Amino acid sequence: MTETSRQLRPGLWGTINERYPGSMITKADLVPLARLRRPVSQSRLTFVSSAGVQPKGTLPFDVVHPVGDYSFRRVPSDSKPSELEIHQIKYPTVGANRDLNVIFPIERLRELAEEGAIGPLTPNFFSFIGYNMDPERLERTLAEDIAEAVVQDGAEAVLLAPA
Amino acid sequence: MTEHSKPPRAVLAPFMMGHHFGVPFHNGLQRRIILKALGRLERAERSGDIYDLPITWAQARREGIAIERSLGLRH
Repeated sequence: MTETSRQLRPGLWGTINERYPGSMITKADLVPLARLRRPVSQSRLTFVSSAGVQPKGTLPFDVVHPVGDYSFRRVPSDSKPSELEIHQIKYPTVGANRDLNVIFPIERLRELAEEGAIGPLTPNFFSFIGYNMDPERLERTLAEDIAEAVVQDGAEAVLLAPA
Repeated sequence: MTEHSKPPRAVLAPFMMGHHFGVPFHNGLQRRIILKALGRLERAERSGDIYDLPITWAQARREGIAIERSLGLRH
């Protein structure tokens, strides 16, 4: 794919892929569009994030492993931000340290669900860390594990957010 | 990155890494981004749909600073 002007940091993908060959995800084809069965306001929603957010007291993500941490954590969707912490060093947490919602909008999602603007939330949200150096392994293990957990939690729609 | 990984739908927030839902204490912006992203589930007509949020990082920061001042969190 060509680097286009809409990119915020043109050339970044190529630079990283040159330095760490094979570490960047490139898909040849688009995933077919899956239609919602019900409107968003009636669909049970979950949230999946690569922000490394996890409940305090759970095993911290291994942020210094040379090829990455391919595990995930369940984050109860009724958690207070004060009950959560971030274990990831690959993105600026200057905003999240003051208001976690800038990267993991757990309070906003709960408010919107309580107002009925969006559907009910799953019991858990899901979190992992990015900067894994083997995207094929990530797709084969972590992505499949999270997908299975998301389905088990009854999600009908998913909001995915990178960090 | 988004163009390379080819998700079926995406919202592009032109913000600093780690701030994809905006700036601290700007609840309105955080809500708008969530609703805009979920709206693509209903409104995207073809796979590969990437929606650009019509707000700049500078504008988000300005609004966030004003909110923090109104909350007494910043002088």
